[in-house]
Parts: sequence; C-alpha cells; structure tokens
Amino acid sequence: MAALARGEIAGGRAPARDAARHLLVAPVAVLLLGFFVLPYLNLLVISLMTPSPTAAYLRIFTLGNYTRIAGDAFTWGVILHTLEIGVLTTAIALAVSYPLAYHLARAPRARKGFLMALVISPLLVGVLIRTYGWMILLQDTGLINQALQGLGLRALPLMYNDLGVMIGLVHVFIPFMVLAIAGPIRAIDPEVELAARSLGAGFWRTFWRVTFPLSMPGVVAGTILVFVLTISSYVIPSLLGGFKVLTVPILVIRTITELFNWPGGSAFAILFFAITIAVLWAYLRALGRAAHPAA
Amino acid sequence: MVKAGERRWLGLAAIVLYVFLLAPVVIVVIAALNAGTYLRFPPEGVSLRWFQAFAHSRTMVRSFKFSVELAAIVTAIATVIGTTASLWLVRFSGRFQTVMRLLMIAPIAVPGILTGIALLIYFYAVGLGKSGGLWELVVGHTLICIPYVVLIVSAVLVRFDRSLEEAARNLGAGPLVTFRRVTLPLIKGAVISGAIFAFVTSYDEFNISLLLHGIGTVPLPIELFDYLRFSFDPTLAIAGTISIAMAVLVVLITERLVGLEALYLG
Repeated sequence: MAALARGEIAGGRAPARDAARHLLVAPVAVLLLGFFVLPYLNLLVISLMTPSPTAAYLRIFTLGNYTRIAGDAFTWGVILHTLEIGVLTTAIALAVSYPLAYHLARAPRARKGFLMALVISPLLVGVLIRTYGWMILLQDTGLINQALQGLGLRALPLMYNDLGVMIGLVHVFIPFMVLAIAGPIRAIDPEVELAARSLGAGFWRTFWRVTFPLSMPGVVAGTILVFVLTISSYVIPSLLGGFKVLTVPILVIRTITELFNWPGGSAFAILFFAITIAVLWAYLRALGRAAHPAA
Repeated sequence: MVKAGERRWLGLAAIVLYVFLLAPVVIVVIAALNAGTYLRFPPEGVSLRWFQAFAHSRTMVRSFKFSVELAAIVTAIATVIGTTASLWLVRFSGRFQTVMRLLMIAPIAVPGILTGIALLIYFYAVGLGKSGGLWELVVGHTLICIPYVVLIVSAVLVRFDRSLEEAARNLGAGPLVTFRRVTLPLIKGAVISGAIFAFVTSYDEFNISLLLHGIGTVPLPIELFDYLRFSFDPTLAIAGTISIAMAVLVVLITERLVGLEALYLG
C-alpha cells in the first residue's frame, strides 16, 4: 500500500498503481461475470437436464428437451407465427420510421432538440402504460370504434388479434428505428442528393439510388434491433393479444412459471435464440448478396 | 435534396407519425383526468377521483412505494459502479476495450425475458433465494441499468480534455482530490443524466421483475400487468400519468445537461 501511495503521489507508473486502476472496473466485472455470464451458462446446462414433476430438475443428462420441441408441430407453429409477426412488424416499422428519421436528420438546428424529445419521450414511458393507452383506443368499445360507429360505420376488431399486437409493437419500436436511421442520414451530404437531382434523377430515383443505399448501415442496425426486440417481447403480445395470440416468449414463460418445467423452458428459449441468430445470419447474407450481386 | 413541394409532404407525414407516437401517451393522461369509467367523446368532465382511487388502493400504493425504493437502491449502485467502470473503459482498458464495452452493453442487447429466466434458475441453483426477494431484483435491475450509465458517461469522457487533470496533478493534487475537484465536476452532467436513466429504467422494468418478484416484493409494472389482464378502470391511468411526468422531466433534464442529439446521434 505504501508503494502504491508513493507511486500515486509521484504520478509514476508503478505496477501496483496499474493494478489499482483495474479496481475501478472490479464491481461491474464481478456483477457481469457472476450474474450475467454464469446464469446464461447455467441456463445452457439446465436445458440438458431431465425435467421432474417433484424437483426443479433431475441431474441426468438428456437431449430429450430439444428433440421433444423439434418434433412438436404445435411448437413449430408458434415459432413460425412469432417470426412472421417479427418480420411484418420490422418491415412496417422501417417504412414508417424512415420519413420520420429523414425529417429529423434534416430539421433546422433550432428545432432538432424539440423533435428529438418528441421521439424519445415515449421511450421513457413504461411499455405497460403505452399498451394501456392503446387498449383505451383499440378495444371493441374503445375510442376508435366509437368514432367509427359515430360515422355510421361498423366497429372493427382492432385488439385481441395479430393486428392489435402489431400496432402496439410498431409503436413501441419506432423510436429505436428512427434513432438508428437518423444518424447515418445526417451524415449524408445533401450535396450528393442535389447532384443526383440536377443530373435529372427524380425524387424516387434519387431516394432508391442515393439516399437509401447511403443510409444502409442505419437500416441494417435498426431492422436487426427491432426484429430481435419484437420476437422477444412479452407484455404487448399478452395484453393486446388477449390470450388469443401465442408467441414464443409467452409459451416459454408459461412452461417455466405455470408448468414449472425449467429444463423444457430453457431448451425452448435457447433453441429460439439459435433460430433468431440463424435468421439474422441469413438476412445479413442476403443483404451482402444484394450489395454485391456478382459475388 | 428535397424540393419545396416534397418537403411539405415529408412534413405532413412527420406530423401524422408524431401524432401516432404520442397518441397513446396523451390518451392515458386524458383518461386519468376523465370523470367517467370509460373514455367517451365528449368526455364526461374533469375529475380527480381516479387519483383518490389510486391513493386508496393498498396494493397499488405498496407496489408504487416498492418500485421507488427499488429504483433508488439500483440507481445508487449502478451510477457509482457504472461511472468508475466508464472511467476504466475509456482510459485504462487498453486492448480489452472492445470486448469489455460489448460485455457492458450486452444486458440490454439480449432479450430481457431470457435474462430473467437465466437469473431465476441461477438464483435457485446457487441457493440465493427460492422465491424472489429485494436483492434478487436489485441485482437483475442493476444489470440492465449499467449499460445506460456506461453509454452516457463514457460518451462524455471520450471528449474530455485531460490537460485539466494534468494541471491539477502538477499543482500537487493527489488522484482522489483531482477526481473530486476536477474530473467529477466536469462529468457531473453525464453522471446525473446516467443516474436518471437508471432510475427510470428500473422503475419501468418489466421482464426481469416478472420472473424475480415474490410475495411482498411486487414492483408496480407487475401489479399493473396483473390488473390490466383482468380489469380496466382508470386507476391505471394515474400510475401512467406519474410515469409520463417523470419521462418529461427526464427529457428536459437530459437535453439541458448532455444534449439529446449528442447522446443519441453521436
């Protein structure tokens, strides 16, 4: 300690002082290792244990949890439906967020802070509160259906189905998508777009050939983020889907908290995580092909 | 480059989207102030009766208090260790910088529900608790608050002019004094802003709480979730209005201290 103190006062670079510096990260490192890395490794191990009706699990190695899921048609249906909702939600969120991101990135400096606040503030209101807001709007006797009936139209089933779930999901993930895309758009020199226009390209041609390709890094980041968040969300599909829309997280939670089948639930969660990574890999590969068609 | 006519269309589209973005939030506040049980147009008048209903609901008030308490503990821990970790990350991490940055951000990059499951089973396996308690929740929440503190504080540290610290050291100040009198005042804005983000993140956290909460330790979002599944009166809107007021405050403070654009668009 004395050497350490001397080293510090003299401003030298004694080895002891270098070691002391690493104390700065020690609490976070311990937390991440002990309560993040290890629990995930443990999850992997549990998924290979035998389920038991009387204990949390039996310490008997088995691949049965995985083979059972892989051979179950109902489970595959839920997996495919979850991926379908994920792809649709991501596509809609991208289409809707792009104009917003463009508008934000090219807004005059003075107004940018305010617009930024409009995009971010919904992000800070708990997802439950926003879902409640949607329930007031979308339910059978909700405001939108009241308005429709007031106009002499038929009420529409807007909630407790895929549509309601996707409205809620798109809403929640727009800010993420906007933030991911706005950065790269802001980095595009408006002169480049101007050059395309002055050479005779129309609005859409300029967009598809210049602006969109240059904003690709943001589009890739945003779509991946939103896709992953969508297929792993639990609150919105359970509330806006009623008990009628089944997704993987709902099924996994049910397996773990209601059926108390921890190994089965762990295996399902890990399998779905692996499928997600495979989907993202295929997506990135397809993007790479599109960018370099010759290869 | 966008022409004037096209800019008008873009502006119009943006307005429609901002309305979509804010609609459910505004609706919750209106529902909180509405006199009737169901929201109708025209509204049945303004009343504070749902604020009273919220204050009289024992489970809601208990969950609200518990959530605030939990968020306060989590904020204190996450801010301190997240700030020191950011200092290390920016200045001393050397060749581990990329790996450690990724690891520190990872808890918000992986699905929260998966982390919740992993923690639930792990706590059981190491015998730390069979039914969730306060400390399990503190650990889980701290895990997902650290990334925000690290992102915000290290963003400011990267732009930090270290000659000021060197000047203090040359004038004889020790490392601790230098930190307290020079470094900390300069990064104060980011630290406060990180703390606020940590508080809101913990207060609104759902996924991890869903799996780790126990009897007597039910954070507000879990209470609201159970409530929403089966009933539908505007008591919920009050909780929502409190949450919305907090969000507005956070945005205003962050904009003043760090600047939203610098934080989110780099």
